[in-house]
Amino acid sequence: MIRFEDRRLIGRVVATEAMPAGPHQFQFWTATDTTIGIGAIVRVDDERGRTVYAVVIDGKAYSDLATPLHDVVAAEGDPAGTAAPTRRTEVRLWTAAVLRQQPEEPVQPVSLAGVMLATREDVEIALRMDAYVRANRSSGLPIGLYTGGGMSAPVYLDSDFLLGPESAHLNISGVSGLATKTSAVEFFLTSIFQKFPAHKGTIAAVCVNVKGPDLCFLDQPGELTAADLEMYTQLEVEPRPFESVHYYAPFKADGVNLNTLRSHPDLIETVEPLVWGLREVLDYHEVLLSRDDIDAKSDAFIDFLADRVVEKEFSDEWGTTHRVRTFSDLERLFRSIFEGLEAQGRSDMWRTHHVATIRKVRNRLLNISTRCKGLVTDDGTVSDLPFGEFEDRAVYVLDVAGMDQLAQDLVFTRVVSQLREQLERRDLGVDHVVVFVDELNKYAPGDGPDTYVRKMLLDISERGRYLGLVLFGAQQFRSQVHRRVVGNAGTTIYGRMDLDELATPGYQVLSPATKIKLATLPKGELMVRHPHFTQPVFVAFPRPPVLAGPAGIQRFPPAKDVAFEEAVVAHLTALDGRIIPGKVKEIIVGHRSDDIRRALLATKRARPDDVVAFFRASLGSPVSRERVERASGSVAKLKSVEDPYAP
Amino acid sequence: MAIRAAEGTVGGYTVLTHVPQPLSRPFGSAEPVEHEPIEAISVPTTGVAPPGTGFLDGIQRYAVVGRFGLTPVVRGYVAAAVMGRHEQSLSVESQQSEEFIAVNVQRLSDCQARVLEETGLPLYDTGETEREHPILEVHMAAQLVEARREAVELSAARRYLKTRREGWLVLDGSIAPYVDEDDSPRVLGLVKSHETQFLAGSDLRTALTLAARHRTSVFARRIGEQKEVHSWYLRLWPWEGRDLLFGLVRLERSPSAEAGVEASEISSWMLSERSPLSAPDGRWDRLVYPVRQVESYLRAQIGDWL
Repeated sequence: MIRFEDRRLIGRVVATEAMPAGPHQFQFWTATDTTIGIGAIVRVDDERGRTVYAVVIDGKAYSDLATPLHDVVAAEGDPAGTAAPTRRTEVRLWTAAVLRQQPEEPVQPVSLAGVMLATREDVEIALRMDAYVRANRSSGLPIGLYTGGGMSAPVYLDSDFLLGPESAHLNISGVSGLATKTSAVEFFLTSIFQKFPAHKGTIAAVCVNVKGPDLCFLDQPGELTAADLEMYTQLEVEPRPFESVHYYAPFKADGVNLNTLRSHPDLIETVEPLVWGLREVLDYHEVLLSRDDIDAKSDAFIDFLADRVVEKEFSDEWGTTHRVRTFSDLERLFRSIFEGLEAQGRSDMWRTHHVATIRKVRNRLLNISTRCKGLVTDDGTVSDLPFGEFEDRAVYVLDVAGMDQLAQDLVFTRVVSQLREQLERRDLGVDHVVVFVDELNKYAPGDGPDTYVRKMLLDISERGRYLGLVLFGAQQFRSQVHRRVVGNAGTTIYGRMDLDELATPGYQVLSPATKIKLATLPKGELMVRHPHFTQPVFVAFPRPPVLAGPAGIQRFPPAKDVAFEEAVVAHLTALDGRIIPGKVKEIIVGHRSDDIRRALLATKRARPDDVVAFFRASLGSPVSRERVERASGSVAKLKSVEDPYAP
Repeated sequence: MAIRAAEGTVGGYTVLTHVPQPLSRPFGSAEPVEHEPIEAISVPTTGVAPPGTGFLDGIQRYAVVGRFGLTPVVRGYVAAAVMGRHEQSLSVESQQSEEFIAVNVQRLSDCQARVLEETGLPLYDTGETEREHPILEVHMAAQLVEARREAVELSAARRYLKTRREGWLVLDGSIAPYVDEDDSPRVLGLVKSHETQFLAGSDLRTALTLAARHRTSVFARRIGEQKEVHSWYLRLWPWEGRDLLFGLVRLERSPSAEAGVEASEISSWMLSERSPLSAPDGRWDRLVYPVRQVESYLRAQIGDWL
């Protein structure tokens, strides 16, 4: 530890009438070979016992050269002339923004005193971390190391302000590939899981993997350098991967190969299928159906289906009782309605709903299982996140990278909505959930239509902190995200930034030098804004202790898609290695592929001791293929629903 | 223009309103050392500054802070510093300053003298005048201040030369006070003012009309009865179209057997000292940057004196 009397002054505060020192900002000069730079934290002690902590936000250098012409004259117009024997006197003049004054009151201009580099303890006080790090029940979460003047000090976030209830949410911005947004969030989650105090409750994370293999190997150890390990030691965080990670991915269109890059034979067993049916989808039809397409009449009919039909005993007017659980059931209901109407020669209304509306809703709803094939099934099979049984310090990864935008929207919306509802009821299984989503600008854009997804994100941003639902959002351009979503993020992180982005109004509070530093920030360094920090602070963080996506793909190359039968065998042998493939193939002969998929999902969910027996029982008897003859007799032709005025 | 038509030179207009003070010592004598008559010699511009050179300058301030009757009480401050140059950077290596009171002690009562002694500042006697003359006594105090400034400069130079056993010490002015010093061969005087003319006739015309990057032959000028120094003129910047003395300096150093060769080498070095330019100082044509830096340092140290 550096003792106060051992410290060396590195600068002196200066003030002129044109450039006075204020209570929030001041200037000081240093020698030209100083070690400080933009982002360095300094300390000023005056003789009256007042201490000021500040962060350097700008720097200038100039010499006593009055005009460039003097340099031209001295060199006799020849830039390549003999070098001057004396170097001109240079000034390094720094601007510092005050982080904290002690005593806090009265707030006074900074005294014209000596300037020293901050020590580790000074950094803690300057950033007001002493209030939550030194407390008996610390709530500090290490986020990275401040480094300056050859010294480094851990920087902590206050969990009450990162994960609620005081404030919540984290937003991270930066250009792709250089800002290390995903790596940063992986490290933050590691830190949170290890350091979130037990007295604050339990916590889990849901990560939505929207591109590539970024989050596919969170349970695998990554390669760390000696410098990384040293940082982990200083931050007192164990460099180990997540112990409890649950992967979920939808099927591909074939219904048996999982749509994930984590499909290596050694890992595929840990990926659970994400499969939803009619009920799961119908509640979020607004996500899937365009507002421009679905009018109030269609909306009313969908509500009717959701309230009165789905998963209820429902009798149509022609004596048939329906219990609609799946898209197939729904199709049967629609067919029954249309056939009934045709049989009665009616072609306009059914239970106050126009036939055109019914046909439109039918088209749109039944199309969902086609558009989201692999995620949404016709047959009612469901494999979902363990809502109600979330584990403390577990990560739930939803790998939707291979799905189209619509399906990604559906997954994100439904999962987050479910989390919100269950957290409200306090029956999720954990007290806090961090939801990490990249490309936030897609889900909550600053402009464009007011989508269901955006409304949901706004709601979380504004109310999530009370529920324990915390959004960790990442995007390239913060300016393209809805301002209420980013504005409600208590903690904001910036990696390497694009200069055009920095020119937008949201960055006006930053000094030009800070912007330049942001535009040239090396990998592994970030700028942090947190409610306790009165000024942004630059920190370095280690590589996350998990296998990075590209390295993971190299170590665990994705398996090639296999034929339907082979895929079924592979899934079952993953559950029980003793299974003879030929036996499985014999069992599934003659069964419909939908039934096989359902039986397979049921077996994977149940994980029985006797896998083959359970699978066979779930499959039931083979279905004989019968040709269904068309009913005889003429039926009055309906008017075309597409053109109600057609003859 | 008529002057030019008659083969005169034109330029260096300065509008004046007051009659200047009379020159205290307008003429001196000189003996040829290198050539007779004095010649103009071209100086190569390839000179390199020798390593480990020191630069000396001093400042003085004085003010009449009160009077006992008609007798002025003058408070003075003098300071001198040597900045050493290493790897193009200047840093202070020797420094001396003094603050004092200068007064005609003979005119003070015991009580008045005691009051001044109780200030804690040294008390220097400006010397007697024939009769009371408040302006003359201030002039005498000013001369005392100047003498004290030369004393602290000499003290700072001695300290520097004792610490640094090698390398030149360049000072602003004549080296006359240093001729008795053991290290005087390492001292180089850079004289910017030309109140005293040591040359006469065609020699003087040769000296004062030197072209840029030319020096005169070396000549010797006497210091007192026993000592002499070698000296020569050097034109740093072209003067055509400007004043006759623009960019003209006179260099002084201890006598040397290789006077001509050394004068060319030193002149070439001095040409390299033109960069950086000491502008915006009004004396930039004759003031080398390191000496100006010493002066700036001393001024910054004193701040708003009094």
